[in-house]
Amino acid sequence: MTEPLILHILLDFGLAFVVGFCWGILFGSPKSVLWVAGLLGALGHSLRFVLLQADVGIITATMISSVSIGLIGIYIAHKVHHPPVVFTMPAFITMIPGLYAYRTMLGCIRLTDQTFVQHNPGVIGEIGYNLMLTMSLLFTLAIGISIAALLFRSKSVREINFGKKQKP
Amino acid sequence: MPSSTQIPEYVDTSEFADLSLDIATTLFASGAHCGRISNNLNRMAKQWHFDVQMQLTFIGVVLNVTSQKDPLYTVTRYRTTPPHSVHLRLLTEFSRMTWKVADGDLTFQQAKKETERIQKINHYSYWSIAVAVGISCACLCLLLGGSLTDGGIACVAAFVGSIVRVYISHHKFNPMISFVIASFFTTMISGANMIFGWGTAPEAALATSVLYLVPGVPLINSLIDLIEGHLSSAWNRALFGASILLCIAVGMILSISLLGINNF
Repeated sequence: MTEPLILHILLDFGLAFVVGFCWGILFGSPKSVLWVAGLLGALGHSLRFVLLQADVGIITATMISSVSIGLIGIYIAHKVHHPPVVFTMPAFITMIPGLYAYRTMLGCIRLTDQTFVQHNPGVIGEIGYNLMLTMSLLFTLAIGISIAALLFRSKSVREINFGKKQKP
Repeated sequence: MPSSTQIPEYVDTSEFADLSLDIATTLFASGAHCGRISNNLNRMAKQWHFDVQMQLTFIGVVLNVTSQKDPLYTVTRYRTTPPHSVHLRLLTEFSRMTWKVADGDLTFQQAKKETERIQKINHYSYWSIAVAVGISCACLCLLLGGSLTDGGIACVAAFVGSIVRVYISHHKFNPMISFVIASFFTTMISGANMIFGWGTAPEAALATSVLYLVPGVPLINSLIDLIEGHLSSAWNRALFGASILLCIAVGMILSISLLGINNF
């Protein structure tokens, strides 16, 4: 039972790596950090996959993995000398709630057909569910990406030192 | 004239305002959030002894620069931003440049030349972007549980849509139209999968193949601005992102109703 799960996680990791890498190209990230974007995207997505397998809710799982990508991104920014947004932005795209947004839209199109709505009143609840899930997931991603501004008092990421005393 | 015994070099207030506007508008158009722009500008202003106050909105930047040595030298300028297209490399380059200025490694003239160089940096070629978009949409489709066939169809659909969008925006149409037509073509290709039943999870291919059009950077930036308190910019970006999403939806609706809503 464990072996297929590990294979699944590895597959998830590999696919998310490619996604992060390619979105880096779309967003025009520098060539030298494309692999970092891929790696962070892969880490975040596979962490979320593991959490989902452990029956954590999807919003909590996305929150945990986006915050951890945000924190790892600050650490890596010191190593590669680039601002973290350059590679965390493509990395977060791997977790963008595309399917829920699509279902919201499809539900809204169905809402224009009166006979359909009269026969299936549940469509409104479905739209509400998908819409709220899309928005909550987007918001958790934004929290993860701006974690430096939220948690640390320093204005710039370059001034953040983990575990070291801040200069007065 | 302010004495230059303490400052390393004399920088003219209006020239500094022009340079700041160059940097601010370029950064805004390439997808920086407001906090980053004001950090970058304040870093430079501190080095050259200026106070900078700014109002950043989606269509333009108002900037007020006051010399700390002589408050009579105050300049207020406004400039509209160039067309928005995400280019994260410029964020890195400007960040490095302003840190060099803050460390005293760049003079004003050098910073000006550096800014001109950065503004001319090209994006990746649109063929490589189209290939990358195709591959990543295919991978997203596989992540959502599509089969290899679904992934292949999502790849082709996203590739074609991306080329179509570049083709249309090169002909100077309204940018919103390019989103409608690109999402129409993409959905036509991935919708054929739904009609003919080639793959096992056609819904995944449909949902993921248009993801390359989703304005992820403006939407996330809008929330970051909201968190950091830049309300006007946050709403502007949210509206921009929402209108692009609307355009994508219109393109998909056109194609879905052409293929028959009951098939979906």
